[in-house]
Amino acid sequence: MARSIWKGSISFGLVNVPVALFSGVKDTDVHFHQLHAKDHVPIETRRVCVDEDEEVPYEEIGHGYETDDDELIVLTDAELATAAPRKTRTIEIEAFVDLEDVDPIYFDHPYVLLPDGESEGTQRAYRLLVEVMERSERAALGRFVLRTKEYLTIVRARRERLTLTTMRFHDEVREPPKSPGKRPAKKQLDTTVKLIKAMSEPWDPANYRDEYEKRLKKIIRDKQKGKTVKEPERPEQPSAIEDLMAALERSLEEVKA
Amino acid sequence: MAPRSIWNGAIAFGLVQVPVKVYSATESKTVHFREVHLKDESRIEHRRVCPREDKEVPYDDIVKGFEVKQGEWVELTDDEIAAAAGPRNKLIDVEHFVPAEDVDPDFFERTYFLGAADKGDEAYAVLRAALEKTNRAAIGRWVFHDRERTVAIRVYGKGLALYTLRFADDLVDPADFDLARVSKKPSAREIEMASKLVEGLHVKFKPSEYEDSYRDAVLDVVKAKAEGRNIAPPEPEETDGDDSDLLATLEASLG
Repeated sequence: MARSIWKGSISFGLVNVPVALFSGVKDTDVHFHQLHAKDHVPIETRRVCVDEDEEVPYEEIGHGYETDDDELIVLTDAELATAAPRKTRTIEIEAFVDLEDVDPIYFDHPYVLLPDGESEGTQRAYRLLVEVMERSERAALGRFVLRTKEYLTIVRARRERLTLTTMRFHDEVREPPKSPGKRPAKKQLDTTVKLIKAMSEPWDPANYRDEYEKRLKKIIRDKQKGKTVKEPERPEQPSAIEDLMAALERSLEEVKA
Repeated sequence: MAPRSIWNGAIAFGLVQVPVKVYSATESKTVHFREVHLKDESRIEHRRVCPREDKEVPYDDIVKGFEVKQGEWVELTDDEIAAAAGPRNKLIDVEHFVPAEDVDPDFFERTYFLGAADKGDEAYAVLRAALEKTNRAAIGRWVFHDRERTVAIRVYGKGLALYTLRFADDLVDPADFDLARVSKKPSAREIEMASKLVEGLHVKFKPSEYEDSYRDAVLDVVKAKAEGRNIAPPEPEETDGDDSDLLATLEASLG
């Protein structure tokens, strides 16, 4: 079983549920390592003090903040830790919101939140929270501290468990570019709606596979066998039709055929 | 200053192409520190070292390798890795459309904004209006930075946003975690009271109401240090035990 990354509790009114946090993603990517070209010895990265030209152990490293007038202010781990809020072990639910009001632009990293401990009290309080969130279809907003940084998070019920997603703050989302003020012509809009409907399917995540990773693994196998690596052939893309209305109508005919 | 686009191409669905530009949509505002040596405040450099020779290795003498077996490496050039990228046809290739609300939030990875490119205003406006009207998201593939990704295109404000999606294989299924058995499920009374608590705390989501107070707290500590003030460690946190009498706690919460 995976190890938890964080333990604490989630509080909701005066109800307090001990929970443990687990990552919601698995890393299935192919990772490369830097090697010394001549003998394939894996390269190590070392932290070196430029003044002394010597490696520095981790405990001797501090956090340097450069002010606007180029002054360097150095904080130790202990000093930086004082910025963390007092309640570093609690996810306090501040509000409940409707999930569809939260644009996915705010979502950062998913986690799974499980009851910590076998006690009946913990298990029942956890289930109660899952149950009411499922029924109300609401998601909870709260804050919590993970490795010194405080995050805004959204907690919701999924598959009879709670999941937690860290969020971006509003000022980390930029202004979108100016969009064309054009009003679409009715006939074009109607045909596009028809085309979208004809090309619609239920969302099924199993339909999408990581083709990039698959190709990369094949390239590694080919290279291992001493074959030359070639860029795979691609099917020809049909060329686009310049006239929008004509393109829409032809596409609709082809989708329906 | 107008933002600069990071990619130019077109959204393709059927035989239709919508010329678009892609822009960054998010930026981290986390306070950044650089590593320094505590005793003399000098700069720390990350150096690439060959442990066998105990010597720094120049960048030109470094290659990329994949470990196929313990200690056995397959060396790949950047071009060979880039060959896995996928079609470089400058298209966001839409495969189909799905109900926009059905894509679970866990799939969303990074967001970009889409702007209309030259001569693309008409097609952009039509696609945006049609996605809004049908409440659909376009699902397709996009090659960016030498890597093919699955993406969703959705209505965002007055325009469109492009979201890269995680793959199902990369997500943990919460149901893979077992829950301990309970002898008594939450009672109707408990559920009713907890639901009241949820409704009492229900608000419309307004992102601007949640500020990153931690960011300010970090900058306050920096300021205190710069002014030579004493930086006090936080009070130890009290931890509450779990609730043995759930119903009584719920009642107390509702006041």
